[in-house]
Amino acid sequence: MSHATTPPAPASAGTKDRSGLLARVTDVRSVYGGGEQDFTAVDGVSLELGEGEILGLAGESGCGKTTLGNTLAMIAAPPLYVLSGTLEIDDEVIDLSTLSPADVKRHRPYRGSTVSMLPQGAMNAISPTVRIRSLVHDVMRAHRTGVSKDEALDRARDRLKMLEMPVRVLDSYAHQLSGGMKQRVITVISTLLDPRLLIADEPTSALDVSSQRMLVEMLLAMVEQRIMSGVVFVTHDLPVLSQVSDKLAIMNAGSIVEMGPTRQLVEDPQHPYTKKLLSSVLDPTAETRERGRDRARGGAPAPAPSTEEAR
Amino acid sequence: MSTPNAPVTDEKSAPRSNPFRSFNFSTRFWVSLVIVVAVVVLGLAGFLYPTGSGEKVGSLYDAPGGGLPLGTDNFGHDVLAVLMAGTRTSLIIGLVAGTIATAIGVAVGLVAGFVGGWLEEVLMGITNVVLAIPSIIVLILISISLPQSSIWSLAVVIGITAWPWTARAVRAQASSVATREHIDVARLSGARLPSILLVDVLPYILSYAVMAFVLQVSGAILAESALSMLGLGPSGTDSLGTQLHWALAFQAVATGAWWAFLPPTIVLTLVSFGFLLLQASLDEVFNPRLRRGKKKQMKQAAARRAKEAAALAAGEQAPAAGADPRPVPTSAGGAA
Amino acid sequence: MNLGRYILQKTGWYLVALVAAVGLNFLLPRLVPGNPVDVIVSNLTRGGSITGEQQQQIYETYVAEFGLDKPLWEQFFTYLGKVFTGDLGTSFANYPASVNDLVGQALPWSVAVQLPAILIGWVLGNLVGAIAAFRGGNWDRSVFTSSLFLSSMPYYCLSILLLYVLAVVAGVFPVGGAYSLGLTPELSAEFLWDAVSYYWLPFLSLVIVFIGGQAVGMRSMAIYELGGDYVNYARAMGIRDNTITKYIFRNAMLPQITGLALSIGTLVGGALITELVFNYPGVGTLLFNAISQNDYPVIQAITLIITVAVLLANFAVEIVYGFVDPRIRAAKSGEK
Repeated sequence: MSHATTPPAPASAGTKDRSGLLARVTDVRSVYGGGEQDFTAVDGVSLELGEGEILGLAGESGCGKTTLGNTLAMIAAPPLYVLSGTLEIDDEVIDLSTLSPADVKRHRPYRGSTVSMLPQGAMNAISPTVRIRSLVHDVMRAHRTGVSKDEALDRARDRLKMLEMPVRVLDSYAHQLSGGMKQRVITVISTLLDPRLLIADEPTSALDVSSQRMLVEMLLAMVEQRIMSGVVFVTHDLPVLSQVSDKLAIMNAGSIVEMGPTRQLVEDPQHPYTKKLLSSVLDPTAETRERGRDRARGGAPAPAPSTEEAR
Repeated sequence: MSTPNAPVTDEKSAPRSNPFRSFNFSTRFWVSLVIVVAVVVLGLAGFLYPTGSGEKVGSLYDAPGGGLPLGTDNFGHDVLAVLMAGTRTSLIIGLVAGTIATAIGVAVGLVAGFVGGWLEEVLMGITNVVLAIPSIIVLILISISLPQSSIWSLAVVIGITAWPWTARAVRAQASSVATREHIDVARLSGARLPSILLVDVLPYILSYAVMAFVLQVSGAILAESALSMLGLGPSGTDSLGTQLHWALAFQAVATGAWWAFLPPTIVLTLVSFGFLLLQASLDEVFNPRLRRGKKKQMKQAAARRAKEAAALAAGEQAPAAGADPRPVPTSAGGAA
Repeated sequence: MNLGRYILQKTGWYLVALVAAVGLNFLLPRLVPGNPVDVIVSNLTRGGSITGEQQQQIYETYVAEFGLDKPLWEQFFTYLGKVFTGDLGTSFANYPASVNDLVGQALPWSVAVQLPAILIGWVLGNLVGAIAAFRGGNWDRSVFTSSLFLSSMPYYCLSILLLYVLAVVAGVFPVGGAYSLGLTPELSAEFLWDAVSYYWLPFLSLVIVFIGGQAVGMRSMAIYELGGDYVNYARAMGIRDNTITKYIFRNAMLPQITGLALSIGTLVGGALITELVFNYPGVGTLLFNAISQNDYPVIQAITLIITVAVLLANFAVEIVYGFVDPRIRAAKSGEK
């Protein structure tokens, strides 16, 4: 197994292949340590993602989807240990295994620039004593040595304008922004270096409906504009995925039980667990919606036409 | 003394849903418990010790020896007997004052944090004002106004001046708990304020109350000895502080009579250190973010993991038992 | 909450505290049953140190100065008036020495020891605590335990130990006092050089304990911050550890600034007794003597000065905090 150690070349627009494979993940095994026994959270997962593709990673709490996301974003740290796994991206094979602080250090150049993370709940993701513009500068100079504050801010401003966000958030502190705005600012920071792959971990779970929609539209726009080439969207919220993702992977107890194009998986699930998961998400059919409207108007629901009446 | 006036962590750390579930007693905890118990035993041993603390058994500063393990003090009394009696006195004052201070502090903090609104503002304002005025000053002022001080009057006075920091810490916890849903459920079900406080809120606050009590006892013992050294101690009784007071007054340090001042100094240091260590280790039990894992166990686990990872890399290890051998089904149409 | 409102609120509460402190300072000693002057004067006469004439003079002076025959509230305003014009009265025990003179002689000694101890202790303590938190491992363990031990020790306990070990036994430092016999205090190089050797032990016993307290606090805060979400996110973005350390430091410092206010109060209180141990002619020794002589004007003056000084220091610290914490300095602008 080759261990790539050279940092990736900075992403440059225009050289990305629109079709074809973006990333291949092979045999990821992650465990939680800390007691007598380690707990296996991800048990031999492999998947592939194409250019411009959004992969939805769904499952119930505790299935390992967040752990898999953390593993791919290379932010695993004790008590989470990655025993095995590789990520092939841009002709580079990255060893995802993380057993010691040295491994954590080895992954640093990739974090935020090759693979980036959009964390769950941006509420505390920004230090309360740091202005957004300082954070922006710190992220940039961690990967491009010698970049000046002005250069970093210019890039951030351009990005904010492109995504129709107010430029003055750069001068703000975290406590001056609303929840939804914080989430979008985090999204901008996470993608500032044009990562090839973005792992979004429950990005919409803490938001209200309109903020959710804004965020999803923003992500789609960014994929469209090739800011990032692929997204892994981790969530338990299946309805959101059915609208956003191209491909869907269902996880249970550390393994992927079924994976395929979203529409087909939703309409024609194969695996019994997938079927169970989908059915538990109540998606009102047209008929039920009708009944609901009648009830709201105050009348009794119209009985289904009997065979006698239909004659 | 430089005992931090609050538990050594941030007040606002999230309360645990069941504080008693995962007790993780470290070495620190056992060491501190041993120290505290040793001090208590020292105090109680005075009941068994043959010589009384008021008996004159020698002259000024006789060195240890001849049946007197710690020699005599300036009055010619057996230093060890005085030490035991003094420890007992100090512990009693500490316990009484600690109980009073913790009770007041928890009560004020609970009401302020849970009821909120203007009552909280007023209570916290009062707390901050009392907190800003150095407690030793208030203690001095009260003590010189009293014609005579006894153990009980001292304990009460110390107790009613020591509660503010506890009130602050408890209030921070109570107000974060007050916003939790099941409290609203209790309210809706018609339970009245006192019963809500006792039945729902108090268990969460319990860990803080326990830690606060530990620090209050230690603080009270030290406050009493500070007052005694200034000459405001309990009249007619021996305490650790009065022992030191007499030692200083009769130049024990300069004349090298170490047996007269070292024992009470050591006991006082053990008391403050032992109680503080106890509180810190309890803090680690209740607040997992402070825990730093047991070294040996972590080393073993890391070695085990490294072996497993190496085996995986070499391709020897089969997938963990229980993995589904069937290929992952994909819907018709194939993946990209 | 914005800066203006914060400053206003703090000023308000500190004024209340000041009024309460002055009120307590005035009221408590006057709660002594019976005419305090009679008791005091009769105590003085018992010692045989004053003639009947002087006794009469003291009595009349006191009654006249503070209007003891007038109602309590009128006495209070007389007292306030005197305090604001800087007249702290006349000493009983050292009649006719003015309290101002006595305190004026003692104060510089106390400030010279305490102020550097606070400043140096704060800087070094926070540094040590931060390093321990970041290094972790054995370094952290030993620093934590030793800091905990030192910080829990009452200031005067360390004083006694240092005095005995380093002065009496080892003879490295002089045994008490502030300067050699025969010299008179003056601002000359010769005198200062002599005074320095007497300065070390009192200074060390304060600064060491203070460092311990700050180190423990800072370590706990830094460890707590290390587990924060923003640390995880910064790491996830590939930000270097040095930069992350800066974030943590800035956040951990905030509660440390708040804690400084309390620590100053504790140090000032503890320093009083430290002076007793070293026979250091500061405010502590003055207070001790005044207590033993029932010299109420001196006692009251000292307690007032100490309280005001501590309140002022606390106030300054809280204002600084308002400027440093962005959540107070920069108002919420409500971006949507």
